[in-house]
Amino acid sequence: MRSFIKKDILMFWRDRKELITVLVLPVLLVFILNFAFAGLFNHDKKSTIDLQLAVVNQDKEAEALEQLNKKLMNEASLEEQEATALVEQAQHIQPVPLLFDFLENKDIKNLVTVHRLKEAEAVDKIKEGDLDAILIIPDGFTAESLYAAFVGKTPTVKLQYKLEQQTNNSSALNNIIQGFMYQLNYQFAIQTIAGAKEVEVTLPEGGFEEIGTGETFTMSQYFTITMGALFALFMVATAATKTGIEIRQQVFNRILLTNSHPMQFFIGKMVSTICLVFLQIIFVIIVSNLILNIFPDRSMTFWIGIAAMAVLFSFAMSGLAAVFTAIILRMNNIDASNGIFMLVILLFGIIGGNFVPIQMLPDWLQQIGEWTPNGLYLVMFTDWIQFEELSSLAKPSMLLIGFVILSTMAGLALFPKRGITK
Amino acid sequence: MLEAIHLSKNFKGKKAVQDVNLYLGHGESVGLIGPNGAGKSTTISMISSLIKPTSGEIKLNGVNTITKPGEIRKILGVVPQELALYQELSAYENLHFFGSIYKMQGKELKDSIEQALEIVGLTDRQKDLVKTFSGGMKRRVNIAAALLHRPEILILDEPTVGIDPQSRNHILETVRMLNEKEGTTILYTSHYMEEVEQLCDRLYIMDHGEIIAAGTKAELLSILSTEDTFKLELSKLDGNFIERVRAIEGIRKVEAFQLQMKIIAKKGSNLISELVHLADQQHIQIINFQTETPSLEDVFLHLTGRTLRD
Repeated sequence: MRSFIKKDILMFWRDRKELITVLVLPVLLVFILNFAFAGLFNHDKKSTIDLQLAVVNQDKEAEALEQLNKKLMNEASLEEQEATALVEQAQHIQPVPLLFDFLENKDIKNLVTVHRLKEAEAVDKIKEGDLDAILIIPDGFTAESLYAAFVGKTPTVKLQYKLEQQTNNSSALNNIIQGFMYQLNYQFAIQTIAGAKEVEVTLPEGGFEEIGTGETFTMSQYFTITMGALFALFMVATAATKTGIEIRQQVFNRILLTNSHPMQFFIGKMVSTICLVFLQIIFVIIVSNLILNIFPDRSMTFWIGIAAMAVLFSFAMSGLAAVFTAIILRMNNIDASNGIFMLVILLFGIIGGNFVPIQMLPDWLQQIGEWTPNGLYLVMFTDWIQFEELSSLAKPSMLLIGFVILSTMAGLALFPKRGITK
Repeated sequence: MLEAIHLSKNFKGKKAVQDVNLYLGHGESVGLIGPNGAGKSTTISMISSLIKPTSGEIKLNGVNTITKPGEIRKILGVVPQELALYQELSAYENLHFFGSIYKMQGKELKDSIEQALEIVGLTDRQKDLVKTFSGGMKRRVNIAAALLHRPEILILDEPTVGIDPQSRNHILETVRMLNEKEGTTILYTSHYMEEVEQLCDRLYIMDHGEIIAAGTKAELLSILSTEDTFKLELSKLDGNFIERVRAIEGIRKVEAFQLQMKIIAKKGSNLISELVHLADQQHIQIINFQTETPSLEDVFLHLTGRTLRD
């Protein structure tokens, strides 16, 4: 068995063209894609968004607490004492100033210039093309937001967002505003449930990819993972193609003549694929990190997790190598088999998010993609980079292990019976 | 020792090998000759247990090797027509790999590799990658890989195709040495008649999937033993002389071209004195006189109507 593994690894090492393809090319692509898409996706870099936003405040904030008190007693049927207690709590939260603070904080200020205007004035400026959008804070917004948060209903009075025309920038701002509202309600609800006497709202940070309190998942990290996985798929196809060459060159027959069990050859292919894919994945991550510093200041636990995921993914790739090897042995036609392998890789690559970010695919395709080994690997990696929580890895890990078992069984079932090579 | 009995193989309904009977005695060197596509490689693949025959039996010392392929694989070395080697590995690495999957290890493996390299004369190039070798050297490594486990039977399928004369001689010498000194039983296929003539005690001639003749070299040559062929080169040649030669008893055919004549006569006709006498009468000087012995190539031509390389 050791001889088969050693031979496969040595053969791969000696094939300099293949070695450059699977080691250097992914790193080069990570480097190129990182710069090519930095302006478009990476919010860490200077943003190209410069949005002129008019904010029209129609809310009568001074009357808000009185309005809230009435609504609590009339609509929520609370006793006066209970209503007063809630209003006292509500004194500490003022959604409108919070919204202005949010829009004028450092991160958002880089993207948006806020103009406080009357509605008519704002509409004129929109028409003249001086402004991109209007955000209207309607009358009753404060009272309605607070009431909705206390009773757990959807507010009937909402911020109104009007655009001159739909652009990437304006929809991005819309996302930011929506994010703010969600965060406002969420924080408020949490603290109400927890029974806090005073409500403090934590403002959300600006940006597109902030999720919870986790680390940011950047495009360079995305490209590192996906390029590594994509070229690992190519490596699996190469390993199987080398089997085809072994058949064509009669080396496989010579192996059979030594009375070695063909299963040793098969398992040798799987184990060598595990070793090669693991080394390739780790190489791409380490070199990309050295060049682009994609994982700055991460803990040892983080790196151990990365290595563990690479091992798991390598096993999944060995399962795929088992199927590919069995197919090529059965078909005995390198070109036709290669065609099948490329189709499978393209399919896995597309729906597993290796060619385009998985978020750009339709929902149903995303769901299918998360069942591919590379899709599962991407999910695991994304979660681990952001949260470093073992619990989030459990499900994709189990699915990957399932993939290894199923694909190995499929490979064994397809593997030609002993003594039949043609 | 090894016998193939009524061996046949069909590929998609097409008969590649038909009713082949072949026997290899211990220590023998047997040749299997035939043109390309005659069915030699298919026969060898069946004997070496790589493909199953459609019908027939293969027995090694009475044991059926079709049902028990392990029996023959243990004692068989096969040198395939193609280079069954890893081009990206060195000669040593190739031999180490094949030796280790023959379950050899340690000193035994090392000694086997050294011996095999020595036999094929590649000890000094063992560390070089196979892909850097010449065609002849690659063929020698191909042979070395089949010798690692010291096989009792060695099957060589056209081992000298496409190589230089020096490497060819080296391979032929190696095969002869293995047979004569090591006692290895040889089955040698080729479409170079002179190689099998040099190396083999017995021959099987194969064409269109069938054995069309078998026997020792003398036995095969006796197929053409009813005629003698003479070639004459003369000082001058005229129609009268040709006619008088044709009239000699026992002459079957006379061909004349410029100052040369080819005469085919019944074996044992003893024509030499008559021809000399006739030439003297006509004042013609015989400059050169040759008696041609038939070759195995002539036997093949006689049996199949075509040459081996057609």
